[in-house]
Amino acid sequence: MSSSNGEYPDIPIKLNVNGRDYVVTVKPYERLIDVLRYKLGFTGVKEGCGRGECGSCLVIMDGKLVPSCLVLAVRANGSRITTIEGIAPEGKLHAIQKALLDVHAVQCGYCLPGVIVAVKYLLDRNPEPSDEEIMEVLDGCLCRCGTYPRFLKAVKLAIKYVREGKTYFDVKEAVEV
Amino acid sequence: MLDLWSLRGELAYVRREDGFVKIGALTTIDDLYNSFLGKERKYLGFVDLYKGFGAYYLRSIATVGGNIGAGHPLSDAAILLMALDAEVKLVSKSGERMVKLNKLYRGKRELDRRPDELIMEVRFRDTPDNSSTALLKIDRRHGHSMGYTVTAAYLELDGNIIRDVRIAFDSMGEPYPGRAYKTEEYLRGRELSEETIHGAYSVLESEMKRISDYRAPAEYRLDLSKVLMKRALLLIRDRLSKG
Repeated sequence: MSSSNGEYPDIPIKLNVNGRDYVVTVKPYERLIDVLRYKLGFTGVKEGCGRGECGSCLVIMDGKLVPSCLVLAVRANGSRITTIEGIAPEGKLHAIQKALLDVHAVQCGYCLPGVIVAVKYLLDRNPEPSDEEIMEVLDGCLCRCGTYPRFLKAVKLAIKYVREGKTYFDVKEAVEV
Repeated sequence: MLDLWSLRGELAYVRREDGFVKIGALTTIDDLYNSFLGKERKYLGFVDLYKGFGAYYLRSIATVGGNIGAGHPLSDAAILLMALDAEVKLVSKSGERMVKLNKLYRGKRELDRRPDELIMEVRFRDTPDNSSTALLKIDRRHGHSMGYTVTAAYLELDGNIIRDVRIAFDSMGEPYPGRAYKTEEYLRGRELSEETIHGAYSVLESEMKRISDYRAPAEYRLDLSKVLMKRALLLIRDRLSKG
């Protein structure tokens, strides 16, 4: 990909992130996670391992759940991406987030953006998943605080909220203990 | 490093052609599962592959060519394809050649592949209806499990007689996947019974050399290899008897 003078070229790409269009210039070796975090400011996307083993950097790209650390930015050209920032409207929390707070699943919280995006992806495709289906999607999301059983509990609660028509909660209302 | 993803249009496919099942190098584990390989009884090993492969989110980006090319012993797809006696198509500017998957590896992450050669396709003979496949591994956890040992089997049964069998492991002694040829030879033509399987245990023990490392001791790996071989054969028999 290097040009005659040895420099890597700048490549303009188009991304739709959380419903908004962006045009951003990237190098051919740049990863999607870095472009999302450092060029577009979506710092909710977390880097854990940087090699597709922890799930912290998960985003939904054209309907697929992918680790943004393993996707080159140029590969994402023209795609629609949902990050943790796009899970709920401004000032609101998604039922998944509310449920995670309710069951006290949050300790350090570093893995949660990935977990929440993964659960959103799952519920979009399957609003009533079985325990096995929940665990299948979440078993690649590593949580070093070890709150896995509470993730399961939270997802079930989130499903209940959504079923009752409560998909979004006011941030203020949600965080009051 | 080159990203080949933009070649998906050409190199992502699963098709039956000339008596072969042909898989393009950029076919993902998801694609395999969504193709006829994820639906037919004789290829149930590909369902095992999908269910146990890495993590859910890797299956839509990990490719068959990448799994073969990594040349790691714990490459699930390569092990299953080895049990199917697959061959790999290598293409360069100077032409193309086919290499049997069981001849492709020379060391850990070392392949019989020149730097100018690209893995284009992997293919194997379409198998008969009285056969099936299985891929099993054991690890302490489910997500991202590499497996202390990984076993793939292809079994063709005539009643309860083993008409043909191929068994591949993550390692037979070398740091890459390999076939248990002597064990296969022993099993071929015999009745699939407890006694036969026990006989196969001693043959496997004589031809397999396991290593100890921080993940598991050699004795344990050897024992698991025998158990997984048995489970794979019985699982395939079950799959066949369910019609």
